Amino acid sequence: MLTRRILLRAALAAAAALSVAPLRAANALSPEQARQFMNETAQKLVRVIDSPDPQPTKNEQMQEIIDRDVAVELIARFCLGRFWRTASPPQQQEYVRLFHHVLLNSITGHLGDYKGLTYTLGRPAPGQGGIEVPSVVNRPGQPAANLTWVISDIDGGPKIIDLIAEGTSLRVTQRSDYASFLNQHGGKVEALIGALKQQASRGG
Amino acid sequence: MRLPRSARSLAAALIAATALTGCATPPPASDPEALADFKRTNDPFEPTNRVLYEINNAIDGVLLRPLAVGYINAVPVPVRTHVHNVLANLNSPVVLANDMLMGKPRRAGDTLTRFVVNSTAGVGGIFDVASGLGFPDHSSDFGEVMAIWGIPEGPFLFLPILGPTDPRDAAGYGIDIVLDPFTWIGQGNTVRNLGYVRYGMTAVDTRAGLIPDLDKVKEQALDPYATFRSLYRQHRAAQINTIKNDTRRTEPDWYPATPAAH
Repeated sequence: MLTRRILLRAALAAAAALSVAPLRAANALSPEQARQFMNETAQKLVRVIDSPDPQPTKNEQMQEIIDRDVAVELIARFCLGRFWRTASPPQQQEYVRLFHHVLLNSITGHLGDYKGLTYTLGRPAPGQGGIEVPSVVNRPGQPAANLTWVISDIDGGPKIIDLIAEGTSLRVTQRSDYASFLNQHGGKVEALIGALKQQASRGG
Repeated sequence: MRLPRSARSLAAALIAATALTGCATPPPASDPEALADFKRTNDPFEPTNRVLYEINNAIDGVLLRPLAVGYINAVPVPVRTHVHNVLANLNSPVVLANDMLMGKPRRAGDTLTRFVVNSTAGVGGIFDVASGLGFPDHSSDFGEVMAIWGIPEGPFLFLPILGPTDPRDAAGYGIDIVLDPFTWIGQGNTVRNLGYVRYGMTAVDTRAGLIPDLDKVKEQALDPYATFRSLYRQHRAAQINTIKNDTRRTEPDWYPATPAAH
């Protein structure tokens, strides 16, 4: 009977280890690694913002950084929420493409506002879905803004999955926006795609 | 408990508005995900709220925003900062009362020190001297007090003038007016007019600070109402969280630490 108990406990421990293991692999990022990644990314961003290159060049450089360091598809899927499963694969692809476009426009459209910004990074801590790296961003002539970057290990490398500005998560806010829009249009993802196309063509 | 008059008339107006436009219809039980979403959104008065949002938006576009833009264009930044400091200082008694009611003595100490230092060294609140001395600025309202006490927020409301809110915070706003000593001090035309000036300036000052953020939401969001709803809720939760996590000690560093219980 003792053997059975030992075996049972060993089996339970093994099961527990197996169920936890995938989680651990996903959170293989340490807070220190996340902070370092954020520091590098922030330096790249500031370099693009402050560079004297013409706007189209800066937009391209910005796009490169976003493609590499932001988990755009993951964020897009999160923002569509429960409607992702009701969309067909071509609709899903089109939606992600448009989401990417609109995200890029909203960032590059306001690059000028951030010229001359300085930032300080705080102590990273595990948080909502990833490692939260707090930062304080100072724009000349504006009060200091508290931004928290959420970094997670996606496809083997750290990527930004969310930005929390003064306590409001950008992902969650965008998801509320899309969910409300879809509820008003009978849950048809096609309507959302149409609205995003309009937004993209408007340039923001 | 008898609610103050402002909250009662607000409630009466709300009931009347709801009777006119009705409540939102929940999705059928055959769609459990949609139903769960509806419950989580907690906005049963959505049709009424949307109507009030449009009305508020219209008034804002015609009156408040132009005033705020004019204020920004006509008044240089340092003067605007000083006006903001004076208004914040005048609000200190309410903030102090709320800090004490929510059981946060360190925050109450910050507020009291700020009030004393800024009113004297800061010449009537014009200069924010206390921040540099290590007493950071914060605001408290009775809605936060009720949240700390454990009262749930309730359904989402969009009220005229107050904007996005909920029953707890709307009642808190009314109670703050009652708590404010400047509501009761003095009588006569001059005092009353100064009160109007103060409320007017607070509205313009607050609106001026929000212009870039609100503009961005209205320009980029597919459904600005839903976006404001989400932003309000998240921001409120973050504010209340900050207060709960503020566990700074009230004793100075040299004070002998109390022995730990065995």
